[in-house]
Amino acid sequence: MRSRWIQGGRRCLFGSAVLACAIALGSCGGSSDSSGGAPVIQVTERDFRIDVSPAHVAAGDVTLQVRNAGPDRHELLVIPYAGGRLPLSPDGLTLDETLFKNSEPGSLEPAQPGSTRRLSVRLAPGHYLLFCNMEGHFMAGMSAQLVVGP
Amino acid sequence: VISRLRRARPFDRAGRGIVVAIFISFGLASAVSVTLSIVAIDRSRSRATALEVVARQRTLAERYVGEVLAAHDGGTADPTQTAALLNESVRVLLDGGVAPAAPGNDDSTRIAAVSGTSIRRQLVEQQRLIADLTAAGGAVLAGRSVAPSALTGGERLTAGSPITQLRVLAGLTSGVAEDTASAIAEESNRSSDSLITLELAIGVVGLAVTLALASVLVITTRSRMAHYRTLVTSSSDLVFVLGDGGCTYASRSLCKLAGRPQSELLGQGITELVHHHDREKLAEILEGDPPQSMLLRVRNSVGELRYLEAIFTDLRSDRHVRGLVVSSRDVTERVRLEEELLMQNQRDAFGSQIVEALEMADDEQSAYDVVGRAMIEIAPESPMELLLSDSSRAHLEPVATNAAAGAPGCPVQSPFSCIAVRRGQPVEFESSEALNACPKLRGRASGPCSATCVPVSFMGRGLGVLHATGPQGAQAGPERLAQLTVLATQAGARIGTVRAFEKTQLQAATDGLTGLVNRRTFEREVRELISSGRRFALAVGDLDHFKAVNDTYGHEAGDRALRMFAQVAQDALRDGDVIARWGGEEFVFAMPGLNRRQAENVLDRIRVCLAEAHTGALPRFTVSFGVTDSEVGATLEELMSVADAAVYQSKRAGRDRVTIGEALPAPRAASNGNGNGVPALQRAAEEEDPPASGFEIR
Repeated sequence: MRSRWIQGGRRCLFGSAVLACAIALGSCGGSSDSSGGAPVIQVTERDFRIDVSPAHVAAGDVTLQVRNAGPDRHELLVIPYAGGRLPLSPDGLTLDETLFKNSEPGSLEPAQPGSTRRLSVRLAPGHYLLFCNMEGHFMAGMSAQLVVGP
Repeated sequence: VISRLRRARPFDRAGRGIVVAIFISFGLASAVSVTLSIVAIDRSRSRATALEVVARQRTLAERYVGEVLAAHDGGTADPTQTAALLNESVRVLLDGGVAPAAPGNDDSTRIAAVSGTSIRRQLVEQQRLIADLTAAGGAVLAGRSVAPSALTGGERLTAGSPITQLRVLAGLTSGVAEDTASAIAEESNRSSDSLITLELAIGVVGLAVTLALASVLVITTRSRMAHYRTLVTSSSDLVFVLGDGGCTYASRSLCKLAGRPQSELLGQGITELVHHHDREKLAEILEGDPPQSMLLRVRNSVGELRYLEAIFTDLRSDRHVRGLVVSSRDVTERVRLEEELLMQNQRDAFGSQIVEALEMADDEQSAYDVVGRAMIEIAPESPMELLLSDSSRAHLEPVATNAAAGAPGCPVQSPFSCIAVRRGQPVEFESSEALNACPKLRGRASGPCSATCVPVSFMGRGLGVLHATGPQGAQAGPERLAQLTVLATQAGARIGTVRAFEKTQLQAATDGLTGLVNRRTFEREVRELISSGRRFALAVGDLDHFKAVNDTYGHEAGDRALRMFAQVAQDALRDGDVIARWGGEEFVFAMPGLNRRQAENVLDRIRVCLAEAHTGALPRFTVSFGVTDSEVGATLEELMSVADAAVYQSKRAGRDRVTIGEALPAPRAASNGNGNGVPALQRAAEEEDPPASGFEIR
């Protein structure tokens, strides 16, 4: 059996490639399954607001399904939010990201309008702010709150 | 395509359509590609202009804020123009038209309406934000906040001063413009990519179609070439092409004839096949204008010479061939037949000449002369002789030689020592030194030679041989041999005929039994003697009791007795004397120069000799003579009657004696003579033998 494998070197190579693909697919499926178990929150971004549904979720692994409804490009940042005014960056048009760089559970880079992305985050109980920090977007109203229950 | 190929006729002018199709497909692909490039470049140029205008919106939004703030601070800036510029620009981007020139460096440019759903949505958003920006600008100048209800772009400016609001709106406008610009740039990239892909695809498809058509063309051409090749190479005609460097093509049939592969015939190889006499001719033809056809001799695989009838087609000026095309057929059989016919004709002409010449020869010597002259005609350089046997057929003697070249001098003695005579057919010797050569050829003074020996015969009997020699190792050849055979045959026929004729003449003049001249010859001789006036004696002799010999011992013994007497009488006579058998047992003698007395002595001697000649094999017999001479009578008849009477007297006197007739008998006896019979003898016989015995004279 072993010698046949060695003899059919090319078939062996092809077979192992197929095997590798299968393993990769399997692992993909596994992660989707694991995220499929987590609650999914629909996040819709558009000029210039964010809709979160549902706005309440239990603590733990949460999957944010983020759709950009456009027409502009938008990013998404998730930060814990205890209320009050958030500090602005020196240009006066965006929030100062350096302050919550280490505390944010997750973020997504700017995406084209019409795109849908997933963001998996582990959320502790508390209030969170979801917003787009592109130039003037937060100031124009692109932010929403998510409440995470115990 | 394949089924069309199968139907294609070998001499059709197909292939042209395929070439045209190749060009069309190539041109089509190129045209589509170029058109696409032109359209793409045009669109890309328009997009670049749009991109410029969109990018300018950011600067204009910043400038508008600056101008509003300057005006708010009491400056002289007029933001309305910038606002109009912003509005007009975004409108032109959406609907197409002439983009206004910005103060500073830009010129007004015509652009098409920007396409793409998402880009247009962004432009619409930009248009709304610009409206909101200008509204906010107006509110700042008026010293109040902009009303949230006046905002059209979906923004909620909840907090901040009017100036902050203005700045936020300018930021939003600027952001949208940037997004739009990057989207346009991306779109441009994408369309460039897709154009490249499309052109690549067109190129590949065009190439594939061209290649497919080209391969069809190649297949068509190949199958047609194969067809032509098969037609040419399987033809039985022997075809070759002579170019500058010798042979450039030789057909399969020619290779088969030569028994060599084509590679050996190419170049100068073919000249080895051609007979060396024809090589020069062929070279001359290559130099100048070729004849329409010629006879070419080539050697085949076993070295045999074959005649080819070659037809020349001059294609030296044809750029596809560049040579002389020689198409030939093997006509050896025809040529051989023609040569044979020609030779046959010549032989026939020679033969009839010989026959005519020999017909005019009425004796052997003239026939020999004819043969000698014919030898010179056949081969003046070749020693030649005709060896013939004499009448005894025991010895061969040269009777005619080639006067121009002499006689070869064959030492053969008798006809049956000659191999050609024994075999009865011509014999050829290539060399006198060969093992199987005739030994009579060796050791001749002229040295080693070749020889041809043709037997000469008449009615199947060998008469001799016609013998010719030539240089050592050279054969006479079929033509020479044929001529010699004709000469030998005709000479044999003529010489045989002449000899037979002479023999017949001799037989007519002699007596068959004794070999003595007959009565008619005797009469002629005697008449000649009488007319010459010369004296002569005439005698008649009659054997005694011959009837008894015949009856007792048989006719055979009688014949022997007659022959014996003839022999004895001849031996006793002189050369000039004539003795003849008159008939039966009666003999007559004419002896010129003798008178009757002298003749009596001669006759007595004969009687004595006869008596002495008896050996015992025969019964003893005697002879009775009567003799007279030319003085007694004037004519043969008179003399005969005198001699007859004398014989009668001898018989009466007792036989075995000679009686001289001195005078003419009485007229009674003369009138009774019939000129043929011998009356006196008849009477004597009647007396001697009774008539019942059946004895008859003659």
